Amino acid sequence: MRALNVENLARVEGHGGITVTLDGKKVKSVHMDIHEGPRLIEQLVKGMTPQDDANVVPRICAICTLSHKFAALRGLEKALDITVPEKVTMTRELMMLGENVESNSLHTMLLALPDFLGYPSAIAMLSDYGDDVKRALRLKKFGNHVMEVTAGRIVHGENPIIGGFGRYPTKKALDEMKRKAHELLPDALRVVELFGGIEYPEYPSAETLFMSVNAPRKEYGYYGDTILVSNGKEVSADDYKKLTNERVVAHSFAKRSLYADKPFTVGAVARMVNMGKRLDGQAADLFKEHFDERWMKNPLLNNLAQAIEMLWSIEHLPEKTDMVASLDDPKVEEPRRQTGSGTGAVEAPRGVLYHHYEIKDGLVDVADIITPTAQNLDDIEVHMKLCAERMLGEGKSDDEVRLGLEMVARAYDPCISCATHLVTLKRL
Amino acid sequence: MTKSSPKIGVYGFTGCAGDQLMILNCEDQLVDLFGATEIRSFVMAKSDNHEGELDVAFVEGSISTDHQLERLKDIRARAKVLVAIGTCACWGGPQAMKLGEGGWEERYKKVYGNAKITAATAMEAQPIDAFVKVDLYISGCPIDKGEFLSAASKLVAGRHPYLYKFPVCTECRWKENPCMLYEGRFCAGPLTKAGCGAVCPTLGLPCVGCWGPTDDLNVGAEYRLLREKGYDPDEIIKKIRKFGGSGVADLVKDLEKKEGEK
Repeated sequence: MRALNVENLARVEGHGGITVTLDGKKVKSVHMDIHEGPRLIEQLVKGMTPQDDANVVPRICAICTLSHKFAALRGLEKALDITVPEKVTMTRELMMLGENVESNSLHTMLLALPDFLGYPSAIAMLSDYGDDVKRALRLKKFGNHVMEVTAGRIVHGENPIIGGFGRYPTKKALDEMKRKAHELLPDALRVVELFGGIEYPEYPSAETLFMSVNAPRKEYGYYGDTILVSNGKEVSADDYKKLTNERVVAHSFAKRSLYADKPFTVGAVARMVNMGKRLDGQAADLFKEHFDERWMKNPLLNNLAQAIEMLWSIEHLPEKTDMVASLDDPKVEEPRRQTGSGTGAVEAPRGVLYHHYEIKDGLVDVADIITPTAQNLDDIEVHMKLCAERMLGEGKSDDEVRLGLEMVARAYDPCISCATHLVTLKRL
Repeated sequence: MTKSSPKIGVYGFTGCAGDQLMILNCEDQLVDLFGATEIRSFVMAKSDNHEGELDVAFVEGSISTDHQLERLKDIRARAKVLVAIGTCACWGGPQAMKLGEGGWEERYKKVYGNAKITAATAMEAQPIDAFVKVDLYISGCPIDKGEFLSAASKLVAGRHPYLYKFPVCTECRWKENPCMLYEGRFCAGPLTKAGCGAVCPTLGLPCVGCWGPTDDLNVGAEYRLLREKGYDPDEIIKKIRKFGGSGVADLVKDLEKKEGEK
């Protein structure tokens, strides 16, 4: 028996590693280890006011901070029986486009691409791919700018509140954003070109299931009240527990999810599988050009899915800014009840994120947060195991196998801070 | 990069990785920053990490497992200057909001049940200065780009950075915002360190205290003011503790004791 380890998985958010246990040539197990320490956030928000909760929970993760904020607001507003006016909805959709551009550009170009081009980091790519690194930084900066204008700050903006916003973006800021979105379209197209041209190794391929929200208005999008499963089922977000079935494993502080006893995938590739036909513009053309059987099996294609999705987000930004600008600023909606429960489901860049709340007499009684990376962990391990078996079977070196496994893990764009979260659980 | 470039390490422990992300968010300066220094270790950003002697270590996050504590001590031993970045490293962050109150074991059990987790031994999150000497604190949730860059550029030049020592109220006055406490709104400004530019009050929203406690804070005065405005004692304490961590734990305890005696 020997072990093949990746002690610290680099270029991901948070702290994780990979342990492969080998018996001769046979792979006994592959574990994604989570080194991140526990925080017990869901227990700590108990007894807080809903707005205090909405201030604290985005701190679960900096990269998907607005997804956490939005999921919390959706869950809390349902619990408090608040319906928000259209301007609130549109401004929230706009902020989510910004987060998508920021996160997808960071992941595809700066964290994942170095592997495919054979560099240890994006910084090391500067001399040979300087224009592309700068392009990535431009896109990322723009995504951050959209988040800053809508949410008040690049990371952990407090402008989105229960029932609305503190202040709405000005017409001037929106026009500027629109101009920049047009300007960056060629950059977003180049990212798709880069990832469309990569030969993705087939080692980790295997059939799996995909879950995503069913976005409103039959459009592509980043939130919804029901969940689409790629087997054709559609489930209410309120029944999220049936979809995620969390459990504890010994090798990490992150919980795991299974659906019908099987691992599944969430994230850009799942959104494309379930909602790709709803894309429009150049994103739709490129999706049609690239989408095929491989996407259903090979997690590495998530990189290309993120690239196409980022293009869609950039293409949709101008019309969203126009919509926000055309509507009057509404007043903040107040709660219509002080006791109730609600679940908010949104698409964080790395997949479906659930925030479930039970409010009692105006205070949080139960908080349950299920993050996309926690849902992906089982599938990450399945695909990594296959990848290790096949690569070792072909006589690849340990270093090659290590890199291959890192690429699989990284393709899911794991957010390990998020995954290390926790829920009130049924006793074992 | 020359041999004499300052050797930098960027590390993260329990938190949201937001402070490391803010370093990566310095898009316009990132290339220069990486060029002017030797980034020996920055696991979130790159693969070729070499641990060894460091001129400056930037450490994000709180400590909540035994493994993290070992790593923190190792970083301290290798670093000439150790800088805590972000509210979690400086004060423990939201995960340390009940520090000194007890009940951590029960909360842990409610989350993980009786499952045996062998990954590491967990403990209640604490700021890094609970375990090692910290040379400089750059607070924030997340840290501010400007404050970080100005401090980092001074540090790599071997000079001492200047950081705000006053509460965010000063920045709020600079922005000419009306004081929300006068309106009876719950604003944590007077207890909170400056550095964010009073972003929330400028959006018409009260300060939530995410930058952590300011120097010379007066918890009692804020408590009494908010009591006068009609707020519930329990809500006041919870809000003060939300991001206060180790910076308010003892002060809140004293306050509760005094209030109990009344």
